[in-house]
Amino acid sequence: MRILLAEDEEDLADVIQAMLQANDFIVDLAENGEEALKLAKENAYDGIVTDIMMPIMDGVTAVKELRKTGDMTPVLMLTAKTEVEDRITGLDAGADDYLTKPFSMGELLARVRALTRRGRDYAPRVIKVYNVTLNLEKEELSCMNSISLAAKEIKLMEFFMNNTEKEISTDDLLNKFWKNDENTDPEAVWMYISFLRNKLKSVGAKATIVGERGGSYMMTGEQ
Amino acid sequence: MSIYGEYREVLEKVAADFVARIESDAKEVIKNTGLKPYEHLSSRIKNEKSMEVKCREHGYPIEPHSALKLIHDSIGVRVVCLFIDDIWDNIERIRHMTGVRVIREKDYIHEAKANGYRSYHMIVEVDSGVTDIDGNKPGKYFVEVQLRTIAMDTWAALEHEMRYKQDIRNPELIAEELRRCAGDLASCDVSMQTLRDLIRGKE
Repeated sequence: MRILLAEDEEDLADVIQAMLQANDFIVDLAENGEEALKLAKENAYDGIVTDIMMPIMDGVTAVKELRKTGDMTPVLMLTAKTEVEDRITGLDAGADDYLTKPFSMGELLARVRALTRRGRDYAPRVIKVYNVTLNLEKEELSCMNSISLAAKEIKLMEFFMNNTEKEISTDDLLNKFWKNDENTDPEAVWMYISFLRNKLKSVGAKATIVGERGGSYMMTGEQ
Repeated sequence: MSIYGEYREVLEKVAADFVARIESDAKEVIKNTGLKPYEHLSSRIKNEKSMEVKCREHGYPIEPHSALKLIHDSIGVRVVCLFIDDIWDNIERIRHMTGVRVIREKDYIHEAKANGYRSYHMIVEVDSGVTDIDGNKPGKYFVEVQLRTIAMDTWAALEHEMRYKQDIRNPELIAEELRRCAGDLASCDVSMQTLRDLIRGKE
């Protein structure tokens, strides 16, 4: 699980990062909202933890901008006790949960776990990028025609469609989608990328997944 | 009197000749690659009753000229393939046959019908030694070629059965599930093609 942490107070950021890392999360640090937004556009995160009061760009603006791009990564906001208005605007901006400072590390960890666990429930049941639509209810990929996708293909397609124009490594995909399989062969990733590519092509999508066997992959296309 | 008049037997000969040409091209492919370019091949002359109905629908007179020249599927040939890419290869070979002109093509594989129907349709005009009804020498006859995978063929067979069966209990539900099956089969066709490419080291 990979978390983006946006927190300008260096000491607090270090403590949170260390605690999350100790619990097997991979943590990327941003010092302000602008940096967080940039990282979120480049990488696929399972969750984002962001402070509200930050220089250059505050957390609420960053979340608002993020949601505008269609990024539905779950967000936990850290707010000061007095900032009731901020909590409201934060949730309205698209945050999924908040935690009031000061908080216990145990509670933060539990909330991050809950957030990443229920990430899927927040996701819309129909995803549309470029000229392709993925209907998670019907397990169907459509453009000029519709075809069904197998269980693993749907999870992968959903992930790529939620993270367009981001480079995802073969290792990341193995860790994320083949974690519970006995066979974790990088060849399997390549095979499924090939399935997805050809299925995108067969529905007439103006989108594909670029990348070489064993390397990084990225979904890209035109509107 | 048949709507095809004295041309019924001619149509059968033209159909047999066209099938023979596809077969002879296939033999060449097998000789070069060792692989069969299609699974099976069939042809039919449109049933006279259906032809009459079709002429009437279009407002054409019920006579041989309408059936041979205005309607283009008096002869139907179906090429059923194992894999999707075999369809494209067969289309290319038909496009390059001498004395065969492509009149129309419709790609219902990429643009599947709303009910899920998938197939590639070609209307071609073929030259024949037998003078046609307009007095052309060589004679010109229309053939409708349908190319599809075995999965698409199975689907079409069931859809056909449903369409001509009266009093089905829940037609909407069956139609919706049939549409879903078309999507499942298409997905499987693409997966099988992908695996074949991986096995052959093409991906």
